[in-house]
Amino acid sequence: MIYKVSYVVIGGDYPGGIKNEIERPKPGDIVQIGPNEFEVVEVHEVIPPRDDFSFLHATVKPIKLLSEPTL
Amino acid sequence: MDLVTIMRRSELFRGLSDDQLQRLTSISTSMVYHRGEVIFEQGTIGDRMYIIAQGQVEVRVHDRTSGEGTTAVYLGQGQVIGEMALIDSGRRSATLVAFGDNTTLYSIPKDEFTALCQQDTAIGYIMMRNLALDLSFKMRHHDNHLSGQ
Repeated sequence: MIYKVSYVVIGGDYPGGIKNEIERPKPGDIVQIGPNEFEVVEVHEVIPPRDDFSFLHATVKPIKLLSEPTL
Repeated sequence: MDLVTIMRRSELFRGLSDDQLQRLTSISTSMVYHRGEVIFEQGTIGDRMYIIAQGQVEVRVHDRTSGEGTTAVYLGQGQVIGEMALIDSGRRSATLVAFGDNTTLYSIPKDEFTALCQQDTAIGYIMMRNLALDLSFKMRHHDNHLSGQ
């Protein structure tokens, strides 16, 4: 299964990302989005899976920020 | 990783046969970018779409009056970029910048893609369906970003 994941930063102050992952992300995982590191807080399905693809939304919180906020 | 494997991991190509994937690879070109290198600029005419094979790409949107740029999103492996040009022939809506060294992209030129879809309408149908799904997913991401959750 391939997991297409929309990573959204809580609060919306930093840009998130979209990646295709080969493992389903879970709360507590660390993800690198651009220069910043985030911890996955919550994961849920956005739309039903199609064939070998699953479509997920993950909220993340900052751990290590190296870029300026966007807002 | 070869291009067919990359395509198999991108939902844009979901539903295509091995033969159809091979025909797509024959019109694709790989390009390697280094950190900070601009892949294309907002406002320019788009003549191809890209698939990210390795690395991350920064999508930067510039304010029309101030010219100030804001990072909208980072896109990673398997993501499609510049696909709107294949659909509406409009100008690029954002600037794309390679985030790291050895960021590898494959490009598919619009004219050759259109010709291939006319030769094999099944490819056109499947990819347009998948492109619609990809655009929908990006809009959902954008909506969630705006709502901050």
